[in-house]
Amino acid sequence: MKSLQIAASGMAAQQMRVEVISNNIANMSTTAYRPRTAEFADLMYQQYLTPGTITSQVGTVVPAGIQLGTGVRPTTVSMELTQGALRQTNAELDIAIDGNGYLEITLPSGDPAYTRDGKLTRSPDGELVTSDGFPLADGIVIPADAERISISRDGEVVAYFANEAAGQPIGSISLARFVNEKGLEAMGDNLYRETEASGPANRLIPGTEGVGYIRQGYIEDSAVDVVQEISDLIEAQRGYELNSKVISASDEMLSVTNRIR
Amino acid sequence: MSSSIFTTLTRQQGLMQEMQVVANNLANSSTTGYKSDRAIFAEFLVPTGDDPQQSLSMGGLGGHAYQMEQGGLKFTGGQFDLAIQGDGFFMVDTPQGQRLTRAGSFQLSAQGQLIDGQGNAVLGAGGNPITIPAEVVDVAFGQDGTITGNGQIIDQIGIMTANGALMRDSNTLFSAAEGVVQAQDAKLVQGALEQSNVSPVLEMARMIEVQRAYEAGQALLEKEDQRISQLISAVRER
Repeated sequence: MKSLQIAASGMAAQQMRVEVISNNIANMSTTAYRPRTAEFADLMYQQYLTPGTITSQVGTVVPAGIQLGTGVRPTTVSMELTQGALRQTNAELDIAIDGNGYLEITLPSGDPAYTRDGKLTRSPDGELVTSDGFPLADGIVIPADAERISISRDGEVVAYFANEAAGQPIGSISLARFVNEKGLEAMGDNLYRETEASGPANRLIPGTEGVGYIRQGYIEDSAVDVVQEISDLIEAQRGYELNSKVISASDEMLSVTNRIR
Repeated sequence: MSSSIFTTLTRQQGLMQEMQVVANNLANSSTTGYKSDRAIFAEFLVPTGDDPQQSLSMGGLGGHAYQMEQGGLKFTGGQFDLAIQGDGFFMVDTPQGQRLTRAGSFQLSAQGQLIDGQGNAVLGAGGNPITIPAEVVDVAFGQDGTITGNGQIIDQIGIMTANGALMRDSNTLFSAAEGVVQAQDAKLVQGALEQSNVSPVLEMARMIEVQRAYEAGQALLEKEDQRISQLISAVRER
């Protein structure tokens, strides 16, 4: 009986939705996390009687035919491109991106990766690195005797020294933009990798050609809307229950069938 | 054998199929742009014997009615999340040909083309794929489908209705064998997705109804079985 498998596909879909939601809720405090949504689509239809054909019995055109659906499947888990709230931390090396764009970092393998997590620190060599120790691709090294660092809205990094009034520019931070941000592959640790779907990274000066500005002393909070997630969670749970009811009803029908003699 | 058994069995078979329709609706209660489905039963006559006047009426699944009513709009804020209010469909170019859909969770391809979740190009009002120039950042969709960016009109997204009957395909796509025309009173909403229009309450009620009707059919079969066996034993005793 098909309805058993159909309801099972519905339960699997809702379960996957719960997994996506629980990952969002688990990351409600992750810096610069963007929530994901599971999307579904219906499965193939069995054509018992194709619409538009001529019926054999009376010779009329079948208006709607008989097409029986076979269930549901998850299609994509897409990233929502909403920005999280900017939170002031006053830390000198905290930067948040106000608008589109990603910081490019270099992985130990030498490959680039992208992140919006701007909680930067200094490596032992004075290099600007992310909290996991990956260096920014812009390769900015802060002199050991620098007293204060200022990062401007357009990414200019200036170091100030003890007995000099004017600062010294030591580099600038660029932001990467993608044609299709949703096509980025999440690698965990707040990192993303470019894919064929995302298109190549286009590194730009902050504040130009659609990329955002850099805000020093701020951190981007997780964009998860907990209230929305909880209401989605309830919806998914009810959807799961509805499909399980179909299974028990189909089961009862089958047990009735077994009594036919 | 008694023809009432055959009549009941066709009904039972139809109920099984209707259960499949209900199950498919409920499985797709979270599918963006899904339109619920209703099974329609039709009577058909089967001649019995040579006399054309004598026939047996049976019930079977005759067709479908797609419930095209509007699903609720869920606001997502996504730049390329589009929903249609009123009649009409988006048109996408699939490898199998042009298809209609109400599921408007679109994105850009790496080349800047507007595509759906499966990678099919979304077509403009003139039947052409839509390309958003790379320098355009904030894309706005007007109510009539006009796409603007950087203060300039880029293209217009096509909102179509089918000329004739629709046929369902997987991935919430419909195909229209008799062609499409521009939709007249459709409104495009940017930043929202149309949810599945499945009504869980209605489907539950229908499911219970199907289940009980099935049991009733079974009771009838058992009664008929008893009647025949009584008839046989009565004949045997004589």
